[in-house]
Amino acid sequence: MKNLDAWIPCLWAASVVVQAIICLILIVRGHFRTLPIFTAYLALNLCQAVFLYAVYGRYGKASHVAYVCAWRSEVVTLIAKAFATVEVLRLVLASYRGIWGLVWRLLTVTCVGALVAVGIAARGHGDWAMMEADRGYHLIFATAVIASLLLVRYYRIRVEPTYQVLLAGFCFYSGIKILVNTVLQQFLYKQYVQFDSIWQLATTLAYILVLGLWAVGLARPLPNVSQAGAIMEPSVYRTVGPRIHRQLQTINEQLIHFWKIEEPRS
Amino acid sequence: MNYSLLGFLAAGLGLLGVLGWLSFSNTQRASRAEGLRNERENRHISYLPQVRQALAPTDYEYLNACGRVDLANRVRKDRRRVARDYLAALRSDFEKLQHFARVIAVMSPEVAVAQELQGVWLSLEFSIRFRVIYVRLLWGIGPAGAISDLSNLISALTVRMETAISSLGEGAALAAEMASSQNSMDPSG
Repeated sequence: MKNLDAWIPCLWAASVVVQAIICLILIVRGHFRTLPIFTAYLALNLCQAVFLYAVYGRYGKASHVAYVCAWRSEVVTLIAKAFATVEVLRLVLASYRGIWGLVWRLLTVTCVGALVAVGIAARGHGDWAMMEADRGYHLIFATAVIASLLLVRYYRIRVEPTYQVLLAGFCFYSGIKILVNTVLQQFLYKQYVQFDSIWQLATTLAYILVLGLWAVGLARPLPNVSQAGAIMEPSVYRTVGPRIHRQLQTINEQLIHFWKIEEPRS
Repeated sequence: MNYSLLGFLAAGLGLLGVLGWLSFSNTQRASRAEGLRNERENRHISYLPQVRQALAPTDYEYLNACGRVDLANRVRKDRRRVARDYLAALRSDFEKLQHFARVIAVMSPEVAVAQELQGVWLSLEFSIRFRVIYVRLLWGIGPAGAISDLSNLISALTVRMETAISSLGEGAALAAEMASSQNSMDPSG
């Protein structure tokens, strides 16, 4: 436990190296043209690491300046992360304009709903404001992406493995962040002096794992983005859709009757 | 331990759980689902007369009257199994109709949120009800007599569906073509 602090720079260095490799893959394979915001997100993460390394070196890791710089730079990368995710979702649903419209609305509703829930849960946690905000962001983010992925699954839309890995990586990291922030805050804060180091270790390890998955996923060629769009007249949907739903509704209602009628037992 | 902590723990674990399910579950639906066109040619509803006959109470009454109570019970048990299988087939019809609705939504440049949410809700509702009824049949308290009513209904719906598809001309024909290609779509990659 005493040597925990010694591991942090190693993990940081490892994450920087893997991020640099992914950036290289994105550039060499030309993926940055398809994923410009995702590339920008990774570049921002790299810049953040370099920036914080300089700040920690100059002001010390435990200083107030370092704290402010770390969280402010984190805000920038979190915003970039949200845009990068929307970009990947947009690529997945590029050919399905109607479903993309639906996902957009779902994302908005989920974000507002989760924001309210987080606001309620975070009341009276003044000391942990940043940690709460960070956890809240990851909760909103993961909920929105999982909701979108569920919708994509419902419509049986194929998600290319590369995009699947990118989205899963984002969600996995957010899920781990929620758990780590919650568990550490509740159970370890008072018991361990090295609380901050444990937090760094857990989150950086998860991030390196995600980066590794992304590196493998992005090593493959990206699928061509089909811009063909919908191939059916909107009137077909408007006419047939409600008809089918009415039929499904009727079958459903029949099941209720099915439930109520009992066979006379002999 | 407070409610907020429990909530966040549950949310974190739940999200990771759903993510795991989405990533690793291999949809058997892809193999179960068949092309819409195939479905139009091969419906479970065509076995309705046989199922109806099998569920008629006259056979049990006759066997009971002959004093073959054991045989009557065995026949009842077997036919209940047939009823369950038939119910499963009706679910398949429901799922195929629903699949068609999804294909149309996927191919449409614009979709109605309320209508799609209704579809999701219907699917959930049907799935729960189906399981409840199935278990009831399994326990021998199933309403076998109602199966024929349900079958008649789906039969009528099927005919209406055929008419609707035919009247929609090219667009719907294209949807049928796309339905079979959509069947191979696996969201988990």
